[in-house]
Amino acid sequence: MTRMGWSVLVGIAVIAAGIGLASLRVNPYVYFAGYVILQYVVIATAWNILGGYAGYVNFGTPAFFALGAYAAVFLIRSIKAPLPVLIVAGGLVAALLGLGIGYLTLRLRGTFFSIATLALSVVLQTMIINWEYVGGSRGISVLRPSGPPFGSYVTFLFTVMVALAVVAVLAARFIERSWIGRGLAALRDNEEAAECMGVPTLRLKLFATTVSGFFLGVAGAPFPYYVTFVEPNSAFALDYAVNALAMPMIGGTTSWVGPVVGAVLLGTASQVATVTISSELNLLIVGVVLVAFVVLAPEGLVGLVRRLRGR
Amino acid sequence: MTPWRRPLTWALIAAIAVTLVLAGAGAFTARAADPIKIGFGMALTGGLSANGKPALLAVQIWKDDVNRKGGLLGRPVELVFYDDQTNPSTVPGIYTKLLDVDKVDLIISGYGTNLIAPLMPIAMERKLTIIGMFGLANNEKYQYPNYFQIQPAGPDPQTSTAIGFFELAAKQNPKPQTVALVGADAEYPQNAMVGARELVKKFGFKIVYDKNYPPSTVDYTPIVRAIKATNPDIVFVASYPPDSVGMLRATHEVGLSPKIYGGGMVGLQFTSVMQSMGPMLNGVVNYDFWAPESTMLAMPGIKEFLKDYQARAEKAGVDPLGYYLPPYSYALMQVLGQAVEGSKGLDQQKIADYIRASEFSTVVGKVKFGKNGEWAKGRTLMVQYQKIRPMASEKETIEQFRGPGKKIVLYPDELKSGTIIYPYSAAKN
Repeated sequence: MTRMGWSVLVGIAVIAAGIGLASLRVNPYVYFAGYVILQYVVIATAWNILGGYAGYVNFGTPAFFALGAYAAVFLIRSIKAPLPVLIVAGGLVAALLGLGIGYLTLRLRGTFFSIATLALSVVLQTMIINWEYVGGSRGISVLRPSGPPFGSYVTFLFTVMVALAVVAVLAARFIERSWIGRGLAALRDNEEAAECMGVPTLRLKLFATTVSGFFLGVAGAPFPYYVTFVEPNSAFALDYAVNALAMPMIGGTTSWVGPVVGAVLLGTASQVATVTISSELNLLIVGVVLVAFVVLAPEGLVGLVRRLRGR
Repeated sequence: MTPWRRPLTWALIAAIAVTLVLAGAGAFTARAADPIKIGFGMALTGGLSANGKPALLAVQIWKDDVNRKGGLLGRPVELVFYDDQTNPSTVPGIYTKLLDVDKVDLIISGYGTNLIAPLMPIAMERKLTIIGMFGLANNEKYQYPNYFQIQPAGPDPQTSTAIGFFELAAKQNPKPQTVALVGADAEYPQNAMVGARELVKKFGFKIVYDKNYPPSTVDYTPIVRAIKATNPDIVFVASYPPDSVGMLRATHEVGLSPKIYGGGMVGLQFTSVMQSMGPMLNGVVNYDFWAPESTMLAMPGIKEFLKDYQARAEKAGVDPLGYYLPPYSYALMQVLGQAVEGSKGLDQQKIADYIRASEFSTVVGKVKFGKNGEWAKGRTLMVQYQKIRPMASEKETIEQFRGPGKKIVLYPDELKSGTIIYPYSAAKN
């Protein structure tokens, strides 16, 4: 069996374990917290495809996430579309936006690209605020469909998120190990040199922004059913931008394991902190840990482990 | 690896471990024997925290009062609460934690429409009784029978803000004729504007100006100048806190002087805004829910509550007067407490049935719930700011508002505490 085959098999096993956990019906809070952590696994992995592999730092994560969420809101309101349709549609709309910012990279690199993505989030939020149909600035309540496949709707969403996380991680792993990943690594290190060596940089960048956007949108699509109330401030929250960046940084940006480890660690810590200590401290934890890692372990936990082992 | 890095690496790992352990430690605090637990999320940080913190204090005061009297059903009361960060997306997680991990017996909502909204499906799915803390029309879509709302907007939230304003205007002599309506392009103001147009028609005024402005507006003088050009008798403003301040300042700058001014300006009720606006508030007729006037202070228990609140607020560093939300937060807990005692148990359905059927005596007066869980009869006040003097220090400015005579209740009649100064220009200076 090929290595790809094995990883798909492991992925299926994880999804099965997720369904198993959902059918166990342990304390429902586990599913709530688990959903958020898995959502961050998807977000961090998606961010890392562009930010880690290609080295283009995207501060516009909330824009993509919210676009997925609002595409879902639109479809729920207009045609009461089922969840799979929402996820695909949310992903596609965000992918389109990703393709758009991909063309931006023709002119904008480094810090300037990051600033442009930051502006993107602001522009999109302003548009949503003025779009009455999806709730405008007041927000919109979303009624969950009745009769989910198993147990409560939240356990169902949890399983869906497990599957999405597995798909996102598998995709990231595939990209990392294929010629695409090597091409992205080349352009991350030196875009001009890569271009001269015959690496199709524009096509690769477009691919990375599109795929990254797709998965960010996918992460946002089930969000309306999770909170049941969507309003611009929480959908475009700065937390997504900070966490999307901090999680891969802490885990390690060069490998698909990094974002997963970072998301699980930081996601769990912030879930625990939210319900135990004040939430201001929660953000402080993220900040302190991020600064510590950037200074002491620039390659993240994965790099740290490698270094300790390599001695 | 350079040798100096190694201890640092371990220090880093240790630091993270300590952070996580500290974060976890809070979860294992000891619990008192068999108390009744009441859970909620509250805006302790973020946009609504200036009101969320005083609301929390009011709920805590209620808990202490009840426990001093022996608790509920003979059991002590314990509060379990988390910071929702004024972020609706934290609400599902917080309440699931409250219900499934902390195993609270009763829940109440956090503060504000947007934070009540995500709680509705959770309460409905588990058939819980919930009392909302200042949400506008949260139950219109769901019509969930076990939802109640302590904000006295009444069964018709759209006209509830403006009705007192236009009724007052219609009673004045000489009767005003023309109206300017101006509002922020946002949820609440737009609702209030719809209600205002309805009332303008009902009372037979003539609209000479009717425009919205974007919430991000910085300079309000062009808007106020445009209003002044139409020379209206009545100016109705529906605005959120930042624009309320902006509009009022511009009104003074431009010298707009209609016969009656105000109506639906959110924010002027807040102590911090009153403090910063000071004498500029004079003459404004605006909606409110509470004022330290004799008619309001006559309600049983309110004086004791405010005394306790103001003493503790100073120490806690929150709103020193607490005249907007805290009396209602306390009243909310009184309703819940009386319902638990009245239904003799913690059965959610029985508590809801009891709340629906009963009239409650609270620090904000008699409360009876009606359609959609709103107050059966609305009781939004119209107040006029009068005789506010410029003060040397901010502390003195606040002190002015502590007693009666500055915020006169004009509407409804049964709570009237003084007479309107009319026209606006006579009170303005």
